[in-house]
Amino acid sequence: MLSYILRRILLLFPTLIGITMVVFFVMALSPGRVTDSLQASEANMRPEERQRIEAYLKKRYGLGDPLVVQYGRWLNRVSPVGFKEAGEGFPRSTTIGFKTPDLGESFIRRRPVLDIILEALPVTLLLNLITIPIVYVVSITSGIWAARKRGQAFDVTSGVVLLALYSMPEIWIGVMVLGFFASRDYLQWFPTSGTHDVLAAQMAFLPVFVDGVFHRGWLLDAVWHLILPIIVMTYGSFAFMSKLMRSSVLENLTADYARTARAKGLTEHVVLFRHVLSNSVLPLITVAASILPGLLGGAVIVESIFGLNGMGKLMLEAIKTKDQELILSQTFVVGIIGLGSLIVADICYAIADPRVSYE
Amino acid sequence: MPQPLLDIRDLNIAFNTARGPIRPVRDVSMSIFPGQTLAVVGESGCGKSVTALSVLRLIPTPPGEYLGGQILFEGRDLLKLPERDMRSVRGRDIAMIFQEPMTSLNPVYTIGDQIAEAVILHQKVGTKKAYKIVEESLCDVGIADPHRRLGEYPHQLSGGMRQRVMIAMALSCKPKLLIADEPTTALDVTIQAQILELLRKLQKENGMAVMLITHDLGVVAENADTVAVMYASRVVEYAKVEDLFDRPQHPYTEGLFRSIPKLGSGVDRLDTISGTVPNPAKFPAGCKFHPRCVRMNGDAKCATVEPVVREVEPRHWAACHHAAGYENAAGTTPVLDYKRQVTLDVLDAAGGVM
Amino acid sequence: MSDLAVGQALPTGAPPVPDRPLVARSWLAGVVLRTVGQISARVGLVWIGTIAFCAVFAPLLASSYPILLRVDNKWSSPLAAHLTAVDWTLLAAVPVVGVLLLLKSLSFARRFGIFLSITLALLTILLLTLDPKRTNVYDQFRALDTTGRVQSIWRTPIPYSPSDRLRDQFDAARPHPWAPSRDHWMGTEINGGDILSNMIHGCRIAMSVGFISTGIALVIGIFVGAMMGYFAGVVDLVGMRLVEIFSAIPRIYLLLAFVAFYDRNIYIIMAIIGVTGWVGDARFVRAEFLKLRNLDFVHAAIAAGLPLRSVLFRHILPNALAPLLVSASFGVAGAILAESTLSFLGLGLIDEPSWGRLLDQARAGGGGFHWWLATFPGIAIFLTVLAYNLIGESLRDALDPKLSGGQ
Repeated sequence: MLSYILRRILLLFPTLIGITMVVFFVMALSPGRVTDSLQASEANMRPEERQRIEAYLKKRYGLGDPLVVQYGRWLNRVSPVGFKEAGEGFPRSTTIGFKTPDLGESFIRRRPVLDIILEALPVTLLLNLITIPIVYVVSITSGIWAARKRGQAFDVTSGVVLLALYSMPEIWIGVMVLGFFASRDYLQWFPTSGTHDVLAAQMAFLPVFVDGVFHRGWLLDAVWHLILPIIVMTYGSFAFMSKLMRSSVLENLTADYARTARAKGLTEHVVLFRHVLSNSVLPLITVAASILPGLLGGAVIVESIFGLNGMGKLMLEAIKTKDQELILSQTFVVGIIGLGSLIVADICYAIADPRVSYE
Repeated sequence: MPQPLLDIRDLNIAFNTARGPIRPVRDVSMSIFPGQTLAVVGESGCGKSVTALSVLRLIPTPPGEYLGGQILFEGRDLLKLPERDMRSVRGRDIAMIFQEPMTSLNPVYTIGDQIAEAVILHQKVGTKKAYKIVEESLCDVGIADPHRRLGEYPHQLSGGMRQRVMIAMALSCKPKLLIADEPTTALDVTIQAQILELLRKLQKENGMAVMLITHDLGVVAENADTVAVMYASRVVEYAKVEDLFDRPQHPYTEGLFRSIPKLGSGVDRLDTISGTVPNPAKFPAGCKFHPRCVRMNGDAKCATVEPVVREVEPRHWAACHHAAGYENAAGTTPVLDYKRQVTLDVLDAAGGVM
Repeated sequence: MSDLAVGQALPTGAPPVPDRPLVARSWLAGVVLRTVGQISARVGLVWIGTIAFCAVFAPLLASSYPILLRVDNKWSSPLAAHLTAVDWTLLAAVPVVGVLLLLKSLSFARRFGIFLSITLALLTILLLTLDPKRTNVYDQFRALDTTGRVQSIWRTPIPYSPSDRLRDQFDAARPHPWAPSRDHWMGTEINGGDILSNMIHGCRIAMSVGFISTGIALVIGIFVGAMMGYFAGVVDLVGMRLVEIFSAIPRIYLLLAFVAFYDRNIYIIMAIIGVTGWVGDARFVRAEFLKLRNLDFVHAAIAAGLPLRSVLFRHILPNALAPLLVSASFGVAGAILAESTLSFLGLGLIDEPSWGRLLDQARAGGGGFHWWLATFPGIAIFLTVLAYNLIGESLRDALDPKLSGGQ
């Protein structure tokens, strides 16, 4: 088992390098890359500012050097392990060691990219961390139920409903939900944007009654703001996972080992929940690997519609303002998070299925 | 007269498929006495597995359906038992082992856990005691180093060992009847012999009855006391093993014996039974075997009237209009309390098994 | 007893008599028939047929230019003067397909080949020779009505082009977007364009992006998957890293990163959507090739001395098609969604009618909501995605050996 995990982690590195290469060369091979960023903000720049940026670009990207060298230089700056200036990172004296990854500086916002990303990341992670358990719990339950009552009302209707839900684009549902439940023209049950009310910082944490007036409190306010976005993020995933669970359970209910279990005299309940279930969730663990990148992508839409300041919204703004460093670093960071989820899912699967480690 | 341990009478089962109902088991009757081995022989699709599964009521009831008949076990009709009582019969009074040991064991649990589950369920002992019993039964089935095996998974064992584990699991609660559905078909020839020998030994030790499903006449010859031959959902012949081999009454059984190659016979072509097994959805009218039968000689009765089993010789039943003495034979229920004369000891003395 | 062979199976001599006469029918035809036989697939095909119809006949369905005009006793067709090479080719393709469907004597592949060559040839000729008027003065024909010189005028059912901003109807007191009315059945968008017209012309974008992107993804996926599955070893290791890279980075982020640095014309966007979507196909192809490469027919082909690419693509690949059909159908849905999302986020095609772009305009400033800009384009995207998903599901059921009745 341990050797499997180690091997898996070792295989991480080529992929990691691959991600950096894809990210870098998308930019590097495009027509008019660096100069575009300059031109976009040229109107607002004073000459010294412009020179500073040119000098920065030259240092960071070595414009004029062959592409491969530029890539190497960028990679070195971005990675937490590499060649460093004396006195930087750990250990302080040698030339190779650990250092803070330098993701560059955003011209538009005039701030280090790393800081900007670290501000936006928690919102996106929060959205995803709430979404994933909801999706799994609902899918597993509905999948089991549909498999047990195969062919009956619940199974058929849930199959149709889930397929319809899966086909509904997030862009549409998000806009409709926002428009009908959170706009001034229709029902205004929910706030139109943001994760918190403007006055959130002054609220008490828990809901409380003051002079007979109900105050939401910080926690409830946050929940209220997140309900619509979470609904939009979760509904699409139910279909796929639920159908997967259903077919997996059906397959296992009629498997030979289930027949053996029944022949031993076990109740149908025990056969289902002890024997069949532990085999049925295995495909769901495999799928977990790709659910996080999918949700991260979906977050782009949801954050844009609901005005949540996460990575997705950040990415869109970066593109609109042609903030090159920010775009590159964001794609890179998101790729790493995605890769992390792939590895975690693989390891979880190896733990769940004893057949794997012995390949 | 002693009562049979298991008495199947006029069992009828239907499957309601998308293409209409099919009847894989029709008016099947057979019986097993304590300590006896009944072999149920036939090709794939003749209904022998369905019969075996229905004893433990393991046929899923949609799409399956028990149309009629009785399955009497120690006098109780299993088909009429409530599910709760049926569950206490399964694994405890009657146990079953299957053809494919790899897929018949749960891949994500250790074999120790799986056998212990049965023990804890039926013998109501604590966990520690249960695992001790498991270790003992692994030893009984001839698995070396049983303590280590407790924590191993099915994919870590060889095919023969897995089947031994299945047998250990089935026998861990000392059932009165073991149903073995083609237990050796998926195994190598040498392993087959070992497993069958193990079954015989355990049967003798525990005084257990065995219903042995197989398509292999060699296995029948070695292990069976009585034989039921099935063809196209019916029992076509039922006799003591020696009687069956000496004087087969049904043309199908005759054909089976004829088609086995004999050493030193010097023929170029093997004898076969012409034609193929009929599709269960489209059984021919009359006798199901008549399209392939050499005895028929254009007799219209074979194509219209379906023969039932009759006692054509003392304690030898056959279902064929042209069996000697069929017309005057009585339609008695096939019941044979018989154990073979040649015992294991004689075989061992003669130089062991193959 | 020793002359009974242990494990002797019972031989039967005569050749099997089939229960029903065998009809010579290719596997693919069987799959298609079983798919189309399902009601869900039929529903999907009806909608896709509608979209395809709109895509082909868009200029005849919605245009500000009249089809036929008689002014001062002179007939003219302003619409025809403005049709592009692509428009003509699509219109001409319809009778070609009709004729080809009737020629049942030729095989399907043959007819498809003829169809492709005719349309491509026509397209090239037209691109070289035709030069439609580029400048669009939409309001001239509305103004013409009032001069009284018009004897007869035949308009398209929806008398607006998608990019007609209705400048002649500008009213400062009533800014666009307009809610649905008798003149504009689905209302107008923010820059004045009629929404129904945009929806009809948007069908073309949807269909073409869907098919071409999926085609690109299939080609890449098949190639990479075949390499990985057939050679295994190091090739597989490297290929899996590629697959991991494109799975780890969410598709939208890749799309956004590409769009940020490259031009935004339709061909680049189709290419980008294709390049980000090949991973699923590669996985399927790899799995099938891993299974198939050890079968005897592959060994026979190699032993016969056939070149590798022939073995891979003419012998193994046709046997690996089953999961690809399903994947392609879902892939088209995904590609249409990707393009709509890009347009919705404001990063898609400029100046082309796209459903996603309309959807983006539904949110009004200050918390308002234009329901017609959300409902109609949204339903269109939803139904199109649903249609392809239904077809994909039906294909999957048709290909499942357990359900196909043992063919």
